Amino acid sequence: MILLELALYFGILSLVSFGGMASVMPEMQRYVVDVKGWATAGEFIQLFAVAQAAPGPNVLIASLVGWKVAGLPGALVALGAICAPAAALALWVSSLWERFRDSPWRGAVQRMLVPLVVGLVLSGGYVIATPGAPDWRMWLIAALSAAGTLHRSLNPLWILAAGGFAGALLL
Amino acid sequence: MAQPPRSLAELFLGFLSIGARSFGGVLPWAHRVLVEERRWITPEDFAETVGLCQVLPGPNIGNAAILLGKRWFGLRGAAAAFLGLMALPFVWVLALAALYADFAGNPVVRAVVTGVGTAGAGLFIGTAIKLGRTLASKPAALAIVASVFLAIGIARVSLLVVLPVAAAAGLLLSRRNLL
Repeated sequence: MILLELALYFGILSLVSFGGMASVMPEMQRYVVDVKGWATAGEFIQLFAVAQAAPGPNVLIASLVGWKVAGLPGALVALGAICAPAAALALWVSSLWERFRDSPWRGAVQRMLVPLVVGLVLSGGYVIATPGAPDWRMWLIAALSAAGTLHRSLNPLWILAAGGFAGALLL
Repeated sequence: MAQPPRSLAELFLGFLSIGARSFGGVLPWAHRVLVEERRWITPEDFAETVGLCQVLPGPNIGNAAILLGKRWFGLRGAAAAFLGLMALPFVWVLALAALYADFAGNPVVRAVVTGVGTAGAGLFIGTAIKLGRTLASKPAALAIVASVFLAIGIARVSLLVVLPVAAAAGLLLSRRNLL
């Protein structure tokens, strides 16, 4: 039953993850931590860290949640569920998208999505960096990391490594 | 000139090599392998395919793998490209999580991993700021960003409630050229 629940929830999340996984991170955290209690906020940030530090698409956070809840079958089901509906949609839309190349709606949809995705990604960063009561040390690490991303095109892996080092010193 | 992969096996191995090396983000590695090393597609084609996938829901490069695989070898190609991309990272991430579970009791390890996760959250914030720079001169767009942040980030309302409302408001504003 828990596999069905994972499949259903991640299947729905798949279809609303406009702009990629970052957009649904706050929703995933809310559901996994607040609604289901599958992990604490502190555990969630650690799953997130493992997914970030490993190579590969960050959609793998879903397989880690599945793994935590229901082992290897959970990992496979969660990953499949978060990818498949969106993939089916992509296959269908990619043919339509060409046909609507000159439609004013196409531009309107693209412009509408930008502020939405920005708001969602920002929320994701905030929610993950604030697992409990606001903690200035975590906010400092997140702020420095954000500044590092903006400053120049550093490989994000160096920023994550620096975050680990700062964590060892501060947390 | 761009020359598509000749076989399913070649397609699978190409995406396998993207997944295997994609520490710190898949996009730059996808570009390197598909455009520079294997020359399967032109830079323009790459930008347009990835651009479409960034608008669509789902993992961006995962969707791009599926669209390109489908273009070259139909649904079998879509499956080969997707599985190639995901196979090694999937094993990696579970191995890393299992390894971490053994050391999670150690306070220093916990602090390091929490630091990595927090820095990852900072990457999100930095990305949001980069994407949002173009919105600085559009008050309506900034109002949407702020409302979404208040509803999702602070009030913790479900995305399934916020998304339809924000999308409808965004479309209205967008059709009136306010975005």
